[in-house]
Amino acid sequence: MCPAADATVAEGALRVLVVDDHPIWRDGVARDLEAAGYVVCGTAGEGAQALRVAAATRPDVVLLDLNLPDMSGVEVARGLAALEPAPRVLVLSASGERQDVLDAMTAGATGYLLKSASMSELLEAVQRVAGGDAVFTPGLAGLVLGEYRRLAGGVEDVPRLTERETEILRLVAKGLTYPQIAERLVLSVRTVQNHVQSTLTKLQLHNKAQLVRYALEQGLD
Amino acid sequence: MNHSHYERPALGWALLGVMTVWTALTAVAYAQPVGRRWPLLVADVAVAVGMVLATLAVETAHRIDAGSPTLPAAWAAAPILACAVADGPRGGTLAALAVAAADVGERGSLTEHTFNGVVLLLFAGAVGGYVVRLGVRAERAIGTAARREAAVAERERLARDIHDSVLQVLALVSRRGAALGGEASELARLAGEQEVRLRSLVSTPAPVRDDKGSVDVRALLEPLASAAVTVSCPADSVPLPEHAAHEVAAAVAAALDNVRRHAGDGARAWVFLEDAEDTVVVSIRDDGLGMPTDRLDEAREAGRLGVIQSILGRVRDLGGQATVTSAPGEGTEVELRVPRC
Repeated sequence: MCPAADATVAEGALRVLVVDDHPIWRDGVARDLEAAGYVVCGTAGEGAQALRVAAATRPDVVLLDLNLPDMSGVEVARGLAALEPAPRVLVLSASGERQDVLDAMTAGATGYLLKSASMSELLEAVQRVAGGDAVFTPGLAGLVLGEYRRLAGGVEDVPRLTERETEILRLVAKGLTYPQIAERLVLSVRTVQNHVQSTLTKLQLHNKAQLVRYALEQGLD
Repeated sequence: MNHSHYERPALGWALLGVMTVWTALTAVAYAQPVGRRWPLLVADVAVAVGMVLATLAVETAHRIDAGSPTLPAAWAAAPILACAVADGPRGGTLAALAVAAADVGERGSLTEHTFNGVVLLLFAGAVGGYVVRLGVRAERAIGTAARREAAVAERERLARDIHDSVLQVLALVSRRGAALGGEASELARLAGEQEVRLRSLVSTPAPVRDDKGSVDVRALLEPLASAAVTVSCPADSVPLPEHAAHEVAAAVAAALDNVRRHAGDGARAWVFLEDAEDTVVVSIRDDGLGMPTDRLDEAREAGRLGVIQSILGRVRDLGGQATVTSAPGEGTEVELRVPRC
């Protein structure tokens, strides 16, 4: 199913791949996305299938459920990040298992939403993730802050948050929207977004470096 | 070797041969579970006893009196250990008594030398049996524990899957129902409420005390989540001494209660738990009506803060601090800082 060939679809519409093992949910979301003018270039119910479809259809955004039958969400996120060009990954989770979410984000996903999010929140998140923004929930901000605190306890070279980044993440965790944060700190919304994104990028780079180091150590053994 | 001094060297050699064959036989028999039963054990002890007594026929009376070792020497300890392994301290001790009796019979009297040997044999039988029993029991316990752990892990995995499916359906009902409107939107609301409750249940670690008497604060705060209340926590546990953890949770619950009563209809609240090394920080923010700061001070001075006062009191008793900030139309934020001590 690739409605990209459909003549009614606007030129340059965002191409989305929906990955979820629940058929009702998958089809429902796909329908909603199409109704909103997005191109659903594929759906997948398993991780391996998702990676194949993503490589073949080159979506702009992958909506990724973390609970898949064959692979962990983290592995799929990592696999997607390794594609060339890599699609943006928006994680959708029903249970919000903290460690799973955090791992998927550090593996390369840039957005996270609970499945209870409303349709308009979901559509907005897809749009923002596609535009390169990081989409955070208060819960994710709490996880990311916690992860920096945890890393700070280690001895090795670890990423650190600037004072501003910490301040902004704390406000996100307290439920403030980017515009509200911008107003409170007298910054532009763009600047707030950039700060949030940089907190995630640093974690992802650190994670990648860790993986490379681990691979080298294993290889040199 | 002693054979050159034996009275009957040929018989000695023959018995040595018997011992060798018997050793080989028992080695094979004991290797199979069927072999490790009492007929073979009794036979083994009997052979050892026989060999000890056969010393009388092989050795000269003079050398026996002088304290020369028995024909099987340390070999006689083998069946004792076999009995100890098979039957524990009881079997080991009985076998040791049998061989010891043969030793004393062979010597004709309880010399100091024999006495030492008897004590050692009894030790080998009793202590060996005890240790073996202990080892077997420990191994069994480890096996049971490992099986139980695997079962729990499997059950948890299944539960995660099932919960995820149920959560998906609830989220779906809540979303579709809201879009349909009318009676369906009431169903949607109910599904949405249950979804939040189940999710907080699934993601909440058990509020158990660890070995230092601490409780994970997350376990006490997560259950406060609802359709109107979002709770954000780190991925790692945030331990506080049990009493302090419960006091913090009670303070947060009181703050949320205050939001429900005073922040106005449809107000939402966010609880945010942070672990800042030596301090645990919890903020409770709402997007409700809020109030001017001077009114807050006024109310505080007049002692009319009620719930807020009780929150401040609880936190101060823990050696912590609480701050309240509010502005009209911007909601209220309460921040609790509790030292780890």
